[in-house]
Amino acid sequence: MKDIGFILAAYIATFASSALLAVYVLRRGRALAAQLPPQDKPWT
Amino acid sequence: MPVTDNAVTDNRTPGDLSGSDITGAFKSGTGTRFTRLLGIATIASMALLIVFGLFVSPADVIQGESVRILYIHVGTVWVAYLAFSVTALASAAFLWKRTTSLIWDRIAGASAEVGVLFMALTLFAGALWGRLAWGKFWVWDARVTTTAFLFITYIGYLAVRGLGGSHHQRGRRSAVVALLAVLEIPLVHFSVKLWRGLHQDSSVTDTTKVKLHDQMLFSLFIAVIAFTLLYSWLVIHRQRVMAMQDALDDKGLDYALQQRRDEGDG
Repeated sequence: MKDIGFILAAYIATFASSALLAVYVLRRGRALAAQLPPQDKPWT
Repeated sequence: MPVTDNAVTDNRTPGDLSGSDITGAFKSGTGTRFTRLLGIATIASMALLIVFGLFVSPADVIQGESVRILYIHVGTVWVAYLAFSVTALASAAFLWKRTTSLIWDRIAGASAEVGVLFMALTLFAGALWGRLAWGKFWVWDARVTTTAFLFITYIGYLAVRGLGGSHHQRGRRSAVVALLAVLEIPLVHFSVKLWRGLHQDSSVTDTTKVKLHDQMLFSLFIAVIAFTLLYSWLVIHRQRVMAMQDALDDKGLDYALQQRRDEGDG
């Protein structure tokens, strides 16, 4: 496939940065949830 | 907000649950059954996007293989527009006297953060496509330049959110900025009509000039669905993280005040 480097760079950058943000949000959520009682987490 | 019994009777600062048998119960995080299902749907649609975007969809007659970058470019810019619009709507809801709940401020902030990420990805994918189609990573075209300006504006919005003050002060201040910033979106969208430039006009809604191949149209549809699902998942989790951060800030302040009162009484 022609221009494969450019095409893959766009896909990898998009999926990698989205995954990094998702992991950061989940880890931060778990860290904060461990410090708060259930009444401060109405979704639980 | 009153100081929790935990914090006072256990002689621990809020957040310090060391040695407690209830720590495990508190570790449920930001996930629910719904967000887990949403996450599975997001991953499945992303996998479908890779298959259709990279393998099934045909190469374009003029652009060749570089058209595959546009599935990312269009999907991410759609989400960025959506995110900034949600930020504006949530900000308006926060400023409206009957709904001045902080949840609107958090939705606005979470949506703007995700929007900034996707706007950066739009510019990045656009630069790669521009290098192949126009021979340059960057041109001072009206659409490209106004998009970059929109991106910088929302970085400014996030900076305003980071200024000091109470949660409500943060909410009011950033809501005003969000309502002004959203006015740029029509400017970006219609810039290709207002000023002649290199950036092409819509190929999906205006079928008089270009007729997209069915598989290209379907790949674009999958991209929009996949990135919208990802946006929803990220905003739900991020606003819950913000809610917990705010709650922890409040409890920390309450605990400090209680300590000062105890010192005064002693």
